[in-house]
Amino acid sequence: MTANALVLAGYGLNCEEETLHAFEYAGLKGSIRHINDVIENPKELDNAQILAIPGGFSYGDDTGAGNAYAQKIKLALWDKLQDFIARDTLTIGICNGCQITANLGLVPAFDKNYGERLVAVTHNLTARYQCRWIDLKITNNSPWLDGVETMHIPVAHGEGRFMMSDDTLEKLKKDGHIAAVYTKDGEPANGEFPYNPNGSVADIAAITDKTGRILTLMPHPERGMFTWQRDDYMEAKDKAQREGKTLPETADGILLFQNAARYFEVAQKKTA
Amino acid sequence: MATRIEVLAPPEDGRGKTLEKALKKQGKDVKIRVVDVYSSEHAMANDEKFVTSLVNPVTQKANDLPKDFDWALEIGFLPGVTDNIGHTTSELLALAGADNDNECYSSRLYLIKGDLSQSDIERLSESLSNTLIQRVSIKTAGEFNADGGMETVIPKVHLDNKGVVADDVDLNVSDEELEIIGNQGIADSDGSRRGPLGMSLLYMQAVRDYFAKEARPAKDIELETIAQTWSEHCKHTIFASPIDDVKDGLYKGYIKRATKEIREAKGENDICVSVFSDNAGGIIFDDEYLITDKVETHNSPSALDPFGGAITGIVGVNRDCIGFGQGAKPVINRYGFCLADPRTSPEYYRDSAKTTPVLPPETIMKGVVEGVEAGGNQSGIPTPQGFVTFDDRFVGKPLVFVGTIGLIPRTINGKPGHEKKANAGDKIVVAGGRVGRDGIHGATFSSVALDEGSPATAVQIGDPITQKKMSDAIIKEIRDLGLYTAITDNGAGGMSSSIGEMAEQSGGFHVELEKVPLKYPGMAPWEIWISESQERMTMAVPPENTDELIALLAKRGVEATVVGTYTDDERAKITYHGEIIMDMEMDFLHDGNPETPLTTTFTRGGEKEPNLPAPTDHEQTLHDMLGRLNICSKEFISTQYDHNVQGSAVLGPLQGPGRVYAESSITKPVLTSEKGVVLSQGLFPLYSDIDTGAMAAAGVDLSVRNAVAAGVDLNQLALLDNFCWCSSDEPERLGQLKRAVEAIYEIAVKYETPFISGKDSMFNDFKGFDKDGKQVKISAPPTLLASSIGVIPNVDRAISLAPKAVGDLVYLLGETKDELGASEYYDLHGKLGNNVPETDSHQNLRLYKLYGRASRDKLIASAYALNFGGLGVALAKKAIAGQMGMDIDLSAIDLPHEKALYSESTGRILVTVAPQNKAKFEKNFKGFEHCTHIGHIAYGNRLNIQNVLKADIEKLDEAYKKPLREY
Repeated sequence: MTANALVLAGYGLNCEEETLHAFEYAGLKGSIRHINDVIENPKELDNAQILAIPGGFSYGDDTGAGNAYAQKIKLALWDKLQDFIARDTLTIGICNGCQITANLGLVPAFDKNYGERLVAVTHNLTARYQCRWIDLKITNNSPWLDGVETMHIPVAHGEGRFMMSDDTLEKLKKDGHIAAVYTKDGEPANGEFPYNPNGSVADIAAITDKTGRILTLMPHPERGMFTWQRDDYMEAKDKAQREGKTLPETADGILLFQNAARYFEVAQKKTA
Repeated sequence: MATRIEVLAPPEDGRGKTLEKALKKQGKDVKIRVVDVYSSEHAMANDEKFVTSLVNPVTQKANDLPKDFDWALEIGFLPGVTDNIGHTTSELLALAGADNDNECYSSRLYLIKGDLSQSDIERLSESLSNTLIQRVSIKTAGEFNADGGMETVIPKVHLDNKGVVADDVDLNVSDEELEIIGNQGIADSDGSRRGPLGMSLLYMQAVRDYFAKEARPAKDIELETIAQTWSEHCKHTIFASPIDDVKDGLYKGYIKRATKEIREAKGENDICVSVFSDNAGGIIFDDEYLITDKVETHNSPSALDPFGGAITGIVGVNRDCIGFGQGAKPVINRYGFCLADPRTSPEYYRDSAKTTPVLPPETIMKGVVEGVEAGGNQSGIPTPQGFVTFDDRFVGKPLVFVGTIGLIPRTINGKPGHEKKANAGDKIVVAGGRVGRDGIHGATFSSVALDEGSPATAVQIGDPITQKKMSDAIIKEIRDLGLYTAITDNGAGGMSSSIGEMAEQSGGFHVELEKVPLKYPGMAPWEIWISESQERMTMAVPPENTDELIALLAKRGVEATVVGTYTDDERAKITYHGEIIMDMEMDFLHDGNPETPLTTTFTRGGEKEPNLPAPTDHEQTLHDMLGRLNICSKEFISTQYDHNVQGSAVLGPLQGPGRVYAESSITKPVLTSEKGVVLSQGLFPLYSDIDTGAMAAAGVDLSVRNAVAAGVDLNQLALLDNFCWCSSDEPERLGQLKRAVEAIYEIAVKYETPFISGKDSMFNDFKGFDKDGKQVKISAPPTLLASSIGVIPNVDRAISLAPKAVGDLVYLLGETKDELGASEYYDLHGKLGNNVPETDSHQNLRLYKLYGRASRDKLIASAYALNFGGLGVALAKKAIAGQMGMDIDLSAIDLPHEKALYSESTGRILVTVAPQNKAKFEKNFKGFEHCTHIGHIAYGNRLNIQNVLKADIEKLDEAYKKPLREY
């Protein structure tokens, strides 16, 4: 039996279809579930091994991106979600999902204290929505990022700037919670726009909980999972044609979803 | 007791920092703290659980404002204006345990520290607000402290309309009085008028005669309904009326006829499935899906409230997509803006007393850009393609184009997905937002002061999230259950249009108006019926399905209500609390408007061709050309618009490593299919100053040529026409219109590219006063926007504009003629000239077919369809996009250098070809006399045009990107 991915939807989340496609392409089963249906039937979480909160504009970013959707989960689904993450499961929050998971306190959750809000993901320093391709360096060993060193994928957000207290930042660094940073020419972008597209502190693009099983990231791996999605596809295609080569079908973004698939294959083998 | 919650953002907040930066540029050194304010009268609003839910404890604080500031500036909404943040806050209050009918309101407070005068603060507040829809409150720190802070404002609507009923209107009056009713509206009991019906005397007489026959007075709601239904906006009377010797009118006589002839000529290769009959046009995507397309304008509202006008426009055209056939999924948005120079501040007023100035061009530009951004991004629809065109005559009436492409299965529940029919007996169900006074008599808005009793009726603000919930529920869940038989959107005219149109399928309707859910009590029946409140769809639902449909929508947080029944008694009937307030023949309502034949005249414009000296410094001239607003980069828009949501972007708005703003895009709307959708647009408003025929033909040609250059086959391409005209009651303007329509008929038939949808906006004139109080009329140049949509069999055939490799050969395809009339080059020199580009559709067709073969054989490495600024600009854009040098020789073009470089002759494509494909490429174009080898891609960082210029690419890049970079 392959693992089952539950992709949340509703209230303005909008990347659920391409996110599900990524899981399915990686060989996982999955379904898109409206948050109200999960609240009505929380058992759906028990039947899932992977929870994905995809990108979007839940509640129009009103009262802070991801805030209202997180409030809804917290009030209606929190206990069930606790049970879910206590099991050997994987959770990913992408973009709006990142803002929601941060507001839920699923990350960084120092000392497994899930539910404490310690990082804010807030208005870009430019106060502008930014849709552009960026480069990431992977900096921890979350199972989602196993074997991944760098990624070229896009961001698209108005509120992607990680902010937190100095203490929290220190602890994130020390305990290896920072999963990915924005880079320029392979080195941390050091806040330089547009390499760091939002002014995020310490160039943070992604963080995890202590286990690494909960990954929250602002960039969109599902929009950079195929070669044809890449911003340099035209150049790459032309080069391949001249050299008589065939381009690989997939690009960096798919690795996360393939890692999720592999995680459960391994887990299954262990239990077998 | 009202509660006010103030949430303080951190000092580093991006919104505050950006404002500080902007003020710094004006020499003002300030510190700004941003405070998000929420207000409510609900008893639970000071509940701690609710307050906590509004605050991010990591960065924010509630009700704990700093003391260290000099000015407090608060901006909130006026009563009745859509407040999306307030709406979400209400949902949070409900989550915290309050009932669902609570109301919350949002505002934003800026605490400003710095040396600013009262007038500085007022100027800042003007740049941050629009008094048409917003209230502003300013206090000094002293006042703030003395008052104990800002006032708690609850912008609730109170309408003093208790017990309103439909009024009788006496039409047995003189022609003079009829004319006054048509022009100024129905008189209220106090003698004041309700706002224009926009009906001519001829129309008013037809209405009088109808009610004489019915032997009863007309009700106000009946008159308002007829006015809506017969309006230019809904009926397109100018395109429908006989004009000169064209009895069928321009629409049937040219545009619809072109499509009919093309479809017949193409026979079984016809790509059209649904044309001109639905909310959008539909063509074949593949065996499983159709793609639909619709482009709308939202010009007048955008002049008054640029943000509100644009966001309402984009979410409105999304609904055209959702309302296509049984419901199409929006998969791509596109945009286009025609604006005045944002760096200028022309002084014009709407009134002779000079109290209501027109908005500054910069404010309009920022507002419309933001409106499309908010609407598109929040709806999760990618926006990869668009344009901005500038001319000072767009100062009072900007043109705002918005388009949506949809995807719909060809078969749904065993029936064709594009077909629908409301049957007699089906219930009328309206889903989505509630009805308020929004958009009533929107077009007639003037400088009436807004207060609590008169909510901002003309201005609407879209609510993308309410619509997204409804769209997802309908398109992704309910549609495929087959619960409704027909669906359409509520746009202009609100329910009077949507129900009226659907009832034509069944043969009548009966609406029980008291069942319509309202935003606030006290609305008159006619207001409810014609309100343009947004985010509503109307469905025809068999009675046995209504409960299930309404329950499913409720589960998704969407309100839906049965408001009546479709009938087949040929009557348009409304009751209100049991009383009949409308009962008219359907035939009269829809076809009772008298024909008004039009006559035209036409005079070609233009001046003598100027005799300009050759530029002394060609490099500087090229810089000047690249920096012109119609040519320079609009990257600041592209990066704000989410262009890769849905994971479908193949070829985006910025192409090549040098990020050149492109005119076409390619999208893969079905992730599992290799096919792509190619989009482009073309328009040349300036050419109308010489010849509207040349203007229209050039627009169509460019929209086709851009798409062909990107790799689509001509026979897979369809067109949309959007006419934005001016003064369309003048024979000369109508003559210009007729000439443009004739031109696009000719070119579309030649290319065999059918029109599948279109729209017109006929009175883009600003009538007001200049700085001396003198009356002025500024007419937007007659403009046709041509939009193309096509299907490419595999996205690996996509061709971008950026050159790919050093050593590649550069060819110019098509003929360069002495055609600089109304060109960017002449305009740079303040000239108009006479030789406007004439489009040779016969020659172009040959080229596009040959090009199609070369692109199918993958012989072309890059391609750019020449437009504003001609070959010179095209060469520079290619060098910038590829960040590669070029060596070019113009000697094959038999014109002076500046004409060779800046002629805007249509039908030309600049391509690069890999050396190994040279022989094949040249063989492909054998016999075509205008395939000219003009140079190659070179090492180094220079664009080198022999005997003309050697330009640094870095400098070209700067000239191209600088003008609008900081917006």
